[in-house]
Amino acid sequence: MTRALPVLTVLMLIVALWYAGAVWLNSTWVYDQAQRVGTSVTLAEVIPQTMTQTRPLLPPPHQVAAELWKGVAGQKVTSKRSLVYHGYVTFRGTMMGFALGIVLGVGLAMAIVRYRVMELSVMPWAIISQTIPIVALAPMILTVSNQIGVENREIPKAIIAAYLSFFPVLVSMVKGLRAPDAMQLDLLCTYGASDAQTFRKLRLPASMPYFFASLKVVVAAALIGTIVGELPTGAIEGLGARMLIGSQFGEPLIMWAALFAAAILAGGLILLVGLIERLARARMGAPA
Amino acid sequence: MIWLLGAVLFWLAAWAVNARIAASPLGQRQAGRLMVAGLFGITVLVLWEGLVRGFGVPAVILPGPSIIGPTIAGNLGTLWADFVQTVIKGALSGFAIGAVAAFVTAIAIDRSPFLQKGLLPIGNFVSALPIVGLAPVLVMWFGFDWQSKAAVVVVMVFFPLLVNMVAGLQATDRLSRDLMATWSASYWQALFKLRLPAAMPFAFNGLKIAATLALIGAIVAEFFGSPIVGMGFRISTEVGRLGLDMVWAEIAVAALAGSALYGVIALIESWVTFWHPSQRK
Amino acid sequence: MKKLLSAAVFAALGTGAQAQDVTLQLKWVTQAQFAGYYVAAAKGFYEEEGLNVTIKPGGPDIAPTQVIAGGGADVIVEWMPAALAAREKGLPLVNIAQPFKSSGMMLTCLKETGITAPADFADKTLGVWFYGNEYPFLSWMSQLNLKTDGSAGGVTVLKQGFNVDPLLQKQAACISTMTYNEYWQVIDAGIAEADLVTFKYQDQGVATMEDGLYVLEDSLKDQAFEDKMVKFVRASMKGWKYAEANADEAAMIVLENDETGAQTETHQKRMMSEVAKLTAGSNGALDPADYDRTVASLLSPGSDPVISKAPEGAWTHQITDKALQ
Repeated sequence: MTRALPVLTVLMLIVALWYAGAVWLNSTWVYDQAQRVGTSVTLAEVIPQTMTQTRPLLPPPHQVAAELWKGVAGQKVTSKRSLVYHGYVTFRGTMMGFALGIVLGVGLAMAIVRYRVMELSVMPWAIISQTIPIVALAPMILTVSNQIGVENREIPKAIIAAYLSFFPVLVSMVKGLRAPDAMQLDLLCTYGASDAQTFRKLRLPASMPYFFASLKVVVAAALIGTIVGELPTGAIEGLGARMLIGSQFGEPLIMWAALFAAAILAGGLILLVGLIERLARARMGAPA
Repeated sequence: MIWLLGAVLFWLAAWAVNARIAASPLGQRQAGRLMVAGLFGITVLVLWEGLVRGFGVPAVILPGPSIIGPTIAGNLGTLWADFVQTVIKGALSGFAIGAVAAFVTAIAIDRSPFLQKGLLPIGNFVSALPIVGLAPVLVMWFGFDWQSKAAVVVVMVFFPLLVNMVAGLQATDRLSRDLMATWSASYWQALFKLRLPAAMPFAFNGLKIAATLALIGAIVAEFFGSPIVGMGFRISTEVGRLGLDMVWAEIAVAALAGSALYGVIALIESWVTFWHPSQRK
Repeated sequence: MKKLLSAAVFAALGTGAQAQDVTLQLKWVTQAQFAGYYVAAAKGFYEEEGLNVTIKPGGPDIAPTQVIAGGGADVIVEWMPAALAAREKGLPLVNIAQPFKSSGMMLTCLKETGITAPADFADKTLGVWFYGNEYPFLSWMSQLNLKTDGSAGGVTVLKQGFNVDPLLQKQAACISTMTYNEYWQVIDAGIAEADLVTFKYQDQGVATMEDGLYVLEDSLKDQAFEDKMVKFVRASMKGWKYAEANADEAAMIVLENDETGAQTETHQKRMMSEVAKLTAGSNGALDPADYDRTVASLLSPGSDPVISKAPEGAWTHQITDKALQ
């Protein structure tokens, strides 16, 4: 309770601000409309009208909640109108990007730790790659994968997600694989362990805490990449596509609901990854 | 075929050279490191050119560096205007506003553990959200020009920075704080002499993350409406016109801007946090 | 690559008696603007011709011209200005059919801005779509002698997003709308028709041809491909005429194909009835007079002509002549 109270207070504050913002932003439209028909409205009349607009500038929380509820519980989860379905599509994309990012990050980290030339040549460019805004590259990734005959729209999406998520894995794995100190390495050397054995028995286990610690960042990056990939590339399925369609057809409620569905998905993923991290740490004997 | 073969041969040769440099004493020095990284970059370009020519990929799909280079040189004026609009006006102003806001908020809530406990989990959560989705909404609120782009950037960078600052302000150990108390330092003295400097490594960590986010935010926001200048505008228009060389030119500018921003922050960091172990040479 | 491509085409044809595959790339997301194709698929018109048609929806980052250049589609729906511009860039696109007779594009302005005629555009802010859709606007402006670089006496151009908010928020005096889509969003938002002034490109004599079917020039030399396109155009036009006659049913078919699930029945039904007005009067064959007007409008003098010289061989009746016998 002592932990929940401050969070709840801040949340309440945010909701209150949100309502105030909704009244403020949406009232312009009410006044404009009244002026167009030549009547005037009092503030008491304006406030209720700011709560129920079909295309508000800022929908009040309860409107978003209602739309979200309609999207989640209003129909079968397999329906194309269901946010659960679209959330699942985004989730699948995120997981593919997440997996691809981990494979790429771990693989590169292994090569970098093993070969000095890899470190010198690849590492600086890996850093630079992260400073290139992914959104600039997204359409290019789409075109090129179209050209080489990748029909599946999931693939470019996963590539974009992996592009964002491989880097945190790479950095923490390099750190982790280098974590064993000279004494430990020397010890294995005296055992006559081969490179592969050292890697398997010492470096890999030593890197695991670093690996799991990076996963939260990685999964968040993968989700952002997936949504960026869905937003402009085909507008077919997924939460990103719904945001776009909501924006295009002037249905802000659909857009806001998709935004919050994405937030809930992000929360779920982070909780899940946190749980995995905790389990793994317990398994490795770390103090809980 | 010749192109393909040439590119692959170049690659192998460059790799051999790089391996030699890395193994030699030169590889331990700054110059050697730069050479290896530079050669690798050139290899990527040569491979790209070779593949594009070798497979006869049309320029409307993927232009080679030999087409993109002259495009950059021939459109410096346009690229500069786009750079000013998106990076200077949109990203940097938003970055500055967001950073100052996060800094001030962190100090403002520093004295209230209650607010900190409330804000931290929410801040952590919000930093993991796909905030880019807010871009169309903010464009609606703040209009088409750079102000809406800056607003997107502010929202995107605020929370990661806030979380890092709050964590940084808590980074001093009990012993140092007690020492400050025995010197009867006031809250502000302790803040400026001890806790703020100690928070700097965290703050710069946040700033580096935010630098990348800022560029992403500014470019995405332009997809949802913009004046007819800006990097995001140019990219989305030129894709439609099949002017892919121009798109890649903008990507090059974006990469350059992103790396420069990152570099500047890293430079300031090494200057401000010279005492931190990570800065030891 | 081209070799690989034609090899793939031959491989597809090699299956012989089985259905022939056709991939169609749309210009935009699934909506009633493309009802004819969805109807032809749903009503089995393609199947009757022995075709297996895949319809790929578009989106803001998808240029159909680029998709066909990359071999991602056999035939695309595109607007003539973008297709001609691509042709000048070295991508030889050919119009094989033109289901849309009239242009649906217009500028919609708020009456309160005082705009009553195109001459009033000077010093106003106008919202325009880019991504290949800006060409008709640019050529219209250059005919009006209005500069689009933001200098005094010219117009200020905004790249409009995917909705009508700039008008509602008064960020622009006029915005681009389609008769079948955005215009109605403005009305739905609560602005009365009496408060709006619209300028149709069609009425201003600057209309350029919209949704046509385009293929790559080389592929037409292939007898088997030509044959396939004849069937495709025949079935598609059958779909269009059915959609015109049964607007509500067509709209429902479109809705069923909308994978985002975010489109609404009211939008799509109304869009269909408006689209039907544009497709009426076309049997699928391109009208050379319309083509000439499009080219003239694109070539019109100005600082930034869309195409530099009149294209040759950018359209053909080769397919429609056989399809519409």
